[in-house]
Amino acid sequence: MPHCPDPSTAEALLARETELRYGPVPAELDGTEVGQSEYYLTNEAYLLRADGLSFLYRKGEGITVERTTGADFSEESLWLNGSVYAAIASINGFKPIHASAVAYQGEVFAFTGPSGAGKSTLIAGLGNLGLPMFCDDTLVLDLSDPAAIICLPGHKRLKLTPEALALTGAAQEERVGVMIDKFYARPPAGEVGLPLPLGRLIFLEEGRDLAAHEITGAERFARLCDDHYTDALFASARQLDRTAQFALQARLAQQIPMTRLTRPRDLTHFAASVKLAAALVRNEGKLT
Amino acid sequence: MSKAISKATGQFSETAIDDEIVVMHLVSGEFFSLTGTGRELWLLIDGSRNRDAILAAAAAQYGAQPAEIAGDVDAFLAKIGAAGFLDAN
Repeated sequence: MPHCPDPSTAEALLARETELRYGPVPAELDGTEVGQSEYYLTNEAYLLRADGLSFLYRKGEGITVERTTGADFSEESLWLNGSVYAAIASINGFKPIHASAVAYQGEVFAFTGPSGAGKSTLIAGLGNLGLPMFCDDTLVLDLSDPAAIICLPGHKRLKLTPEALALTGAAQEERVGVMIDKFYARPPAGEVGLPLPLGRLIFLEEGRDLAAHEITGAERFARLCDDHYTDALFASARQLDRTAQFALQARLAQQIPMTRLTRPRDLTHFAASVKLAAALVRNEGKLT
Repeated sequence: MSKAISKATGQFSETAIDDEIVVMHLVSGEFFSLTGTGRELWLLIDGSRNRDAILAAAAAQYGAQPAEIAGDVDAFLAKIGAAGFLDAN
């Protein structure tokens, strides 16, 4: 059964704000000229000019897209679900972080790491062990309740490389884009489409041995400095000064349990690393 | 008698995470993580104690003679002072 958000919820707000129409998009926003391959963000609006595609968002007005000659239209949804969505979420007070996640017993377990760290592949692998996908690549947090960090359901489809498809056995769907060697894939255990509290944030790292360690103290704070792009976007959209950024980061560090998952990246260790990740999810971060 | 040492409140933000304190200078953006004795010394700087009183309180907490830990306390005060976390007056 499709999930129909209550119109008063964060999901409904984002659904409204990301409504799409096509039309002319200016090359400037509020008097600021925006060059090709550049963006400009305020607390009310966002303008992005990509190759052959321009996107303008204004709070309360949704998104306008302009396609020009020579555009690769297959990239349109990638921009919309990526940078444009993250900007709109930020402008509306929702914090995007670079993570893929599964759901388990009413909580979200998110895996973060730089591009190429294997987040999506791991999510597909966890699906094979019965853990449904919550989101791929971007996790959007609703921070409006000071006592809880609520994750909004993923808006992106799972994307895998041909190697990841072969490794996980996930069902391949259409190609992501003409110039992109990735395919959409069906999450093996399906998806969860309800807002859920964040249970744990797990940092993926490459290392010689497979191991998991709890992250404690100031390292939790420092780890949150790694996500520069989404941090900068959110801080800029919300016009946070250094004090407010510190307070936000302190709150996240205090409220989110964190684990470091180190694993060798060669294929022979993949099954074992997925098993360890599943154990972390199912045992609330503990391995005993 | 030396003057009481005060934190330069307004110049930094701080937060406790588990048993550590993270302090960030608001102008430079520089972070300090205070654990163990550093954390205890930081908590002793309450605007009412001078250097000798901080030293005496720390010595009492650790069951040490003031002379034994004076070097460490002075080094800590110098370090956080240089980072801009203490009032200059």
